[in-house]
Amino acid sequence: MEPADEILEDDDEALEIPADPMRLNMGPSHPAMHGTIRMVLDLDGETVMNVDVQPGYLHRGFEKSCERGTWAQVFPYVDRLNYVSPMLNNVGFALAVEKLLDVKVPDRCQYYRVILGELARICDHFTCNGASAMELGAFTPFLWLLKVRDWVWDILEKESGARMTHSFARIGGMAAPPTEGFKDDVRAIMPEIRKVVGEAESLLLKNRIFLDRMEGVGKLSKERALALGVTGPVLRSTGVAYDVRKDHPYLVYDRFDFDVPVGTDGDNWDRFMVRTEEIRQSLRIIEQALDQMPDEGPVSIDDPRIMLPEKREVYSTIEATIAHFKLVMEGLKPPKGAVYSFTEAGNGELGFYLVSDGSGTPYRLRVRPPCWFNLQAAREMIMGDMIADIIPTFGSVNMIGGECDR
Amino acid sequence: MPTFKLNGQEIPFEKGDTIIRAAWRAGIEIPHYCWHPGLSVAANCRMCLVHVKSGRQMMMPILKWNEKKQAFLPDTKPKLVPACQQAAEENLEVDSVGPEVKNAQAAVQELLLLNHPVDCPICDQAGECKLQDYYEEHQATLKRKRTEPVHKPKGVRFGPTIVYDAERCIMCTRCIRVCDELVGDHVLDMRERGNRNEIVLAPGRELDHDYTLMTEHVCPVGALTSRDFRFKARVWFLKSAEGVCTGCATGCNTHVDFDPRYGKVYRLRPRDNADVNRFWMCDQGMMTYREVHERRLVTPVLGRGASAEKLLPEDAPSEAATLLGRVKEKGKLAVVLGAGMSSEDNFVAARFAKLFGTSRLYLAARDADAIGWKGDAILKNADPNPNRAGATQVAGRDLADLDDLLADVLAGQVSSVVALGHFGGEGEGKLDALKKLDVVVCLASNEGPLPSVASLQIPVASWAETFGTFVNAKGMAQTFVRAIPAPDGVHPAWKTLCAIAKELGLSLSYERTGDVRNDMNAAAAAADAQPQASA
Repeated sequence: MEPADEILEDDDEALEIPADPMRLNMGPSHPAMHGTIRMVLDLDGETVMNVDVQPGYLHRGFEKSCERGTWAQVFPYVDRLNYVSPMLNNVGFALAVEKLLDVKVPDRCQYYRVILGELARICDHFTCNGASAMELGAFTPFLWLLKVRDWVWDILEKESGARMTHSFARIGGMAAPPTEGFKDDVRAIMPEIRKVVGEAESLLLKNRIFLDRMEGVGKLSKERALALGVTGPVLRSTGVAYDVRKDHPYLVYDRFDFDVPVGTDGDNWDRFMVRTEEIRQSLRIIEQALDQMPDEGPVSIDDPRIMLPEKREVYSTIEATIAHFKLVMEGLKPPKGAVYSFTEAGNGELGFYLVSDGSGTPYRLRVRPPCWFNLQAAREMIMGDMIADIIPTFGSVNMIGGECDR
Repeated sequence: MPTFKLNGQEIPFEKGDTIIRAAWRAGIEIPHYCWHPGLSVAANCRMCLVHVKSGRQMMMPILKWNEKKQAFLPDTKPKLVPACQQAAEENLEVDSVGPEVKNAQAAVQELLLLNHPVDCPICDQAGECKLQDYYEEHQATLKRKRTEPVHKPKGVRFGPTIVYDAERCIMCTRCIRVCDELVGDHVLDMRERGNRNEIVLAPGRELDHDYTLMTEHVCPVGALTSRDFRFKARVWFLKSAEGVCTGCATGCNTHVDFDPRYGKVYRLRPRDNADVNRFWMCDQGMMTYREVHERRLVTPVLGRGASAEKLLPEDAPSEAATLLGRVKEKGKLAVVLGAGMSSEDNFVAARFAKLFGTSRLYLAARDADAIGWKGDAILKNADPNPNRAGATQVAGRDLADLDDLLADVLAGQVSSVVALGHFGGEGEGKLDALKKLDVVVCLASNEGPLPSVASLQIPVASWAETFGTFVNAKGMAQTFVRAIPAPDGVHPAWKTLCAIAKELGLSLSYERTGDVRNDMNAAAAAADAQPQASA
């Protein structure tokens, strides 16, 4: 497609159009500006000459709020970081505090966390890809992809009791062991999910409009991506095969055979394809984890200083009552010190920097949200493209407002 | 000073110190239940067992569980000693954190919880209970015993102030020792042994001496509870401010425990001060917190009897100024300082008198006989006024008392009065002479004889609602801080006096307690320096 102004330039009879750039506000209340982002655009015709991306319209004081309650009371807050895949945040935070405490959860729990986390990642990628397509006018793929989310959420609901904000992980384990039939439930939807991935591809990948809007749009170079601290699918789409699960394995990721898909151009198309392929890799991980996960054994570590004792014990013995009282009223007390712990969340490296003063309350809790860094790259992706390209580009960055709470 | 080593750290000690006392002085806590720095050594809880590594080791034969052979095999372990009883010696090497010691602490803790009832949810001690703290720190295992715990008497009334729960008791005997050693009244003792151990009253007696609440104070668990505080508040909601007791001239240091959500004071606890009250307080002193909420004045009242009318708080200073503005002979105004008010209040009142143009200063103080107060040789001072010395100090001379004031009123020397505080004038109709005066302005936090005869009562902040200084009988100036906010529109007395002075056009104005205190200290320093200069 040729931009209209080029045609005009060739025509000597063309009217002189005033060439002052136009300043346009996009957002913060705009349906395509997910999570209240404001973009101040300088436009030359329809071309974006400059853009000022302004987050900060969503501010809950998340980190400060965490410094008021106990360590365990942070879970509901991290649920609301990337609320498209809360289970990954849950597990990430639990791992951080466990690192501070220098404890390791039982094997069964490690697999359980992997499976639930990968399910959440599948949801995250499906949602992002589906929404990207929808914003380009393809409503059918959106609904078609999001039915997978319902299947996964059914499982997460059965396990945790909540479809979205689970608060299911605990420091030292999970709130409950896997339900009976958990493995069968997951196994049942796996082929269905695989089918939907293929169907989504057949719906979109040969669509001329979709291709035109995605290919070569919103490009990001490898060097700039690394310089800006971009991680996750956005980084991998530029050709850097960095995945925390592979490069710094946590939980039991080193026991699985899976690939890290990468792109070449770092454009919208690559980001879309990397996510699609990652769904397949997640399915592979889940399959292996289901096979390796023991069916018996404890899920949580056995230390009344860290995990709440069973209610039956709390109501009938003084030891458990005291343990319960101390954990609830004062919280578990990690030793003095600081840790940085990071995991691969839906959008990249989700890091928690925790400082403990030895009390039951975090002294400082700092989150490294992947979206925050990916958003820094959005300006460079958008600049030079047309105004309408902002929609698919910003969509494929997949910024989640909850994470950019600064 | 000689030293010994505790976990590798040099601890200085004085002759006669035990290991635990020297460590306590150095700020290191060796876990303990029965030891209390203010009481004798009982060494019965065994929580403070430590390993003395230097010197000849005594090894104890034991049977140790062997995981491999699935059997108990003979072994040895070092004999541990109670740190509360072991005298500190030069170059002693003591270990209080090693595996042997940790093992012993966990075992003692498990034993103490063996028959403990599941009472935390209904126990007043929860949140400040040593059993809870030490469980978390030193035991952290779940119950192994599967049989019914031994049951003992619960809710036993020990006296008008204390209730005893034998099931929660760990038999540390601190309460017995407080009665014996602080009060010299052997009203509590222990009977039976082992599981059946129980604290009992002496036959025919009640726990009714003047320091009964100290038994509750030293109780490390929830066995003894104060009937006054029982079920009133959960301690983790309470905050604490540093106070000074207003019960008598001893000026015991207190923790004022209040709930910031409701602005309510729930109790006092003694605050350790070796020079004043050591670790203790008397029962009457412990109950003085009540006057923060009981019989309070909150609304200014103009006039007496049937013609009395309530004022808005902000109108009180101007009404006072109107009354005082009518005073023709300024020298006949009596300013009555309060022996229950802070030095800051009294200092500003004395300044007010000077600026107003009167030299008639009096002191209103509680009369020990009239309120039935008796001093003792332990803590209770014969003078039931917390700040007589402070009021005298800021006046710079000995003050005439209320009897002199009444005489001067009858003699026509005094025609109007500004009085501070609700102390003084106890006894039916004692202050009736003041009722005849048109201008009697009284600034007080509580109801009392003086406010009741005033033609204008102005409520002021109580000691829990303001910062201030009390000077005790020994002449020690002790400051206290605000715990809760005063009721709406109610200010400290010095501030109210400044507001009245402003209405009268007198140059008396302070913004903060610190400003008053600086001026007060400067005036005291100047007064001290003067005789020397002239001599």
